[in-house]
Amino acid sequence: MFGTLSYNKQKNIIIVSFLLIPLILLGTFTYYPAIKLIYYSFTNWDGYSPEKPWVGLANYREVFSTPDIFLVFKHNFAYFVMGIIQNIVAIYFAVVLNSKLRGKNAFRIMLFLPYIMNGVAVAFMFGYVFDTTNGSLNMLLNSIGLSGLSETSWLGTEGLVNYSLASIGFWRFMGYNMVIYIASLQAIPRDIYEAAKIDGAGTFQTLWRITLPNMKAVIQLNLFLTVTGALEVFDLPFVLTKGGPAGASQTYVMRVVDTAFAYNNYGLASAMSIILLFFVVFVLLIQQLVLNRGGDK
Amino acid sequence: MKTKLFSLCFVIILILSVSLTGCGSSNNNNNAETTEKPAANATTEPAAGDATAEPAAGGADISGKITFLTNRTDMIGKEYDEYVKRFNEKYPNIQVEFEASQTDYNQQAKVRMASGELPDVMFIPTIPNSDLPKYFASLDDLGLTDQITFKDFRSHEGQLYGITTGNSTSGIVYNKKAFADAGITEVPKTWDEFLAACEKLKAKGIVPLASNFKDKWPLGSWAYDTPRLIEGKADFPNEKLNTETPFTMDNGYGKSFSLLRELNEKGYLEKDINSTNWEQSKKDIASGKFAMYYLGNWVINQVIGAGAPADNVGFFPLPYDNSGTPTATLSPDFFYAVSKDSKSLDAAKAFVKWMIEESGYEDFAGFISPIKGKESTLAQLKEFQSTGVELVEGTVDDPKVTEISNKAQLDLPAVVQEFVLAKDPQSVIDKWNKSWAKAKKDLGY
Repeated sequence: MFGTLSYNKQKNIIIVSFLLIPLILLGTFTYYPAIKLIYYSFTNWDGYSPEKPWVGLANYREVFSTPDIFLVFKHNFAYFVMGIIQNIVAIYFAVVLNSKLRGKNAFRIMLFLPYIMNGVAVAFMFGYVFDTTNGSLNMLLNSIGLSGLSETSWLGTEGLVNYSLASIGFWRFMGYNMVIYIASLQAIPRDIYEAAKIDGAGTFQTLWRITLPNMKAVIQLNLFLTVTGALEVFDLPFVLTKGGPAGASQTYVMRVVDTAFAYNNYGLASAMSIILLFFVVFVLLIQQLVLNRGGDK
Repeated sequence: MKTKLFSLCFVIILILSVSLTGCGSSNNNNNAETTEKPAANATTEPAAGDATAEPAAGGADISGKITFLTNRTDMIGKEYDEYVKRFNEKYPNIQVEFEASQTDYNQQAKVRMASGELPDVMFIPTIPNSDLPKYFASLDDLGLTDQITFKDFRSHEGQLYGITTGNSTSGIVYNKKAFADAGITEVPKTWDEFLAACEKLKAKGIVPLASNFKDKWPLGSWAYDTPRLIEGKADFPNEKLNTETPFTMDNGYGKSFSLLRELNEKGYLEKDINSTNWEQSKKDIASGKFAMYYLGNWVINQVIGAGAPADNVGFFPLPYDNSGTPTATLSPDFFYAVSKDSKSLDAAKAFVKWMIEESGYEDFAGFISPIKGKESTLAQLKEFQSTGVELVEGTVDDPKVTEISNKAQLDLPAVVQEFVLAKDPQSVIDKWNKSWAKAKKDLGY
């Protein structure tokens, strides 16, 4: 029956029918809720009543007139620091596991496995690791003779808690970053390395002058994931510390969730989410600017 | 071939991880709900009583078929069958059917209210008291009005619409053997005696009080119950409405929070209060590694479930001062109500009355009887009541106070945490007073 249609029409029908379902899914589960979120941010809806009174920009004004809402971002700094270290280590493992190494697939899978574990399960597991009195970490420190350190309250010390939490993120996401780096390493043509070798370049020079520049786009991608991840941390502190001690590990997203679900203020919470969205875009713009300074056109 | 296999595994792993993540977060939500609201989960079932018939006259003249929407799905086909058998001995012509609720009773009940298809007997969901007459029949003709606890809690304009299914209190749940090992021969009746008992326990290497500080919700007794007991005013939490400074060092809040702070400073709580483990603490209380909880009586069964012999678990009111006269709060669970449009109104009321007076449900569920002054048959509650404790009923939260609290993002247990951890507790109090005053002003109250 399609035989009578012109080639162009057939092409269009196929394109439309293939795209229809993904577009409907995308629209239903991404764009429709996002538009609703923007709408709610202009109301002071309490989350259950049928009326959603329009309040204009009042929610945004309230967020910006409460500076301590933004103070929680300093807790995210730890995740950012750990994220940078995580990327460096991931590049290291990617380079090592991309060379001729016996059993490299086994190592790759081992390093990648933490990523496929459920976030909440990971958090519970580390709850036992970081426990002060019965935790395995303190027990280990004690058994290797560092008994002074073995009394540390990893999740209960104000300056330490965010780094403890971020190190779990490191454990979990390093393998994921590594897999992306390996993929990009495999895309670098072999002949560049051969040419460099003939010209007498050493291992470090090859890494610095060939490997890293060729991976620049992927490093940017991973930094993008790291930065957004750091700004949007939620599950680890939510399960492990509930934001404690006394709010020292509270993150912005936890505040948003509390505002919506504990204090029944969906309007304000929506406004906070939108502000986070712009904040992420802003930070990424700065990152792009800094990384593209050299120009790579 | 090898690469193909590897990428296949990779894809499978990715898909699994995505689906696992999905399951994970929803599980987490459920967990959070069940652990944080034990009291609400340990709830109930309804009953109807005969409104008009005198109990002594027997109930053969009342007939009808009634449905009871219950959240105690675990009791259907078991305890409920036995209740109906006993109920039918008295009221042979009433047929009772049980309908199991979905997980969220409150929401399901509200949907049924909106559609106008209410079961004859049910529990009152979270609706304002002014809406009660729209859905429910007055229960004043049951003749229970003066005997029951919380008669004003679910009333509107002097009419009674809901009767509590059972009440809870909070106090010190303790391991008797741990007390005996530490040489404590009788339960402390004053705050000084309490501290002395803690000191003895500590000297024995037993953690005196398991606060579960990190998890925040277990601090609810310090945040909601003790302040109002110290003030001696049931309505104390609602009085916040009339002040710009609800928290001061010498009112109920400041004093109650200071008690916990004192326990922490003296080392009577867990070694690291920021690293506590709720599930483990139950086992530790059961085994005597920890000695006490300050929680609701619902925790007694959980400690027994964690391995403590029932006769090793005791319960007494917290002596929050040195007066020696114990008081404790009384809080209601779900409230029975009878649908206004029930076709068998009398039968439904007869069932409610029977459930309250004769079913023994409160003992099964571990509650204090809804009837004033009725002694519990449960050993721990009996011990609690034998201290001569005066049980102080709470009042309904003023919606305005809730509104201000939400606006100020005030979460009392979180304030307790800050207060205990802060170097200068006064600064915590000042901070929250400021938030309160601002929210109150913004809302125009």
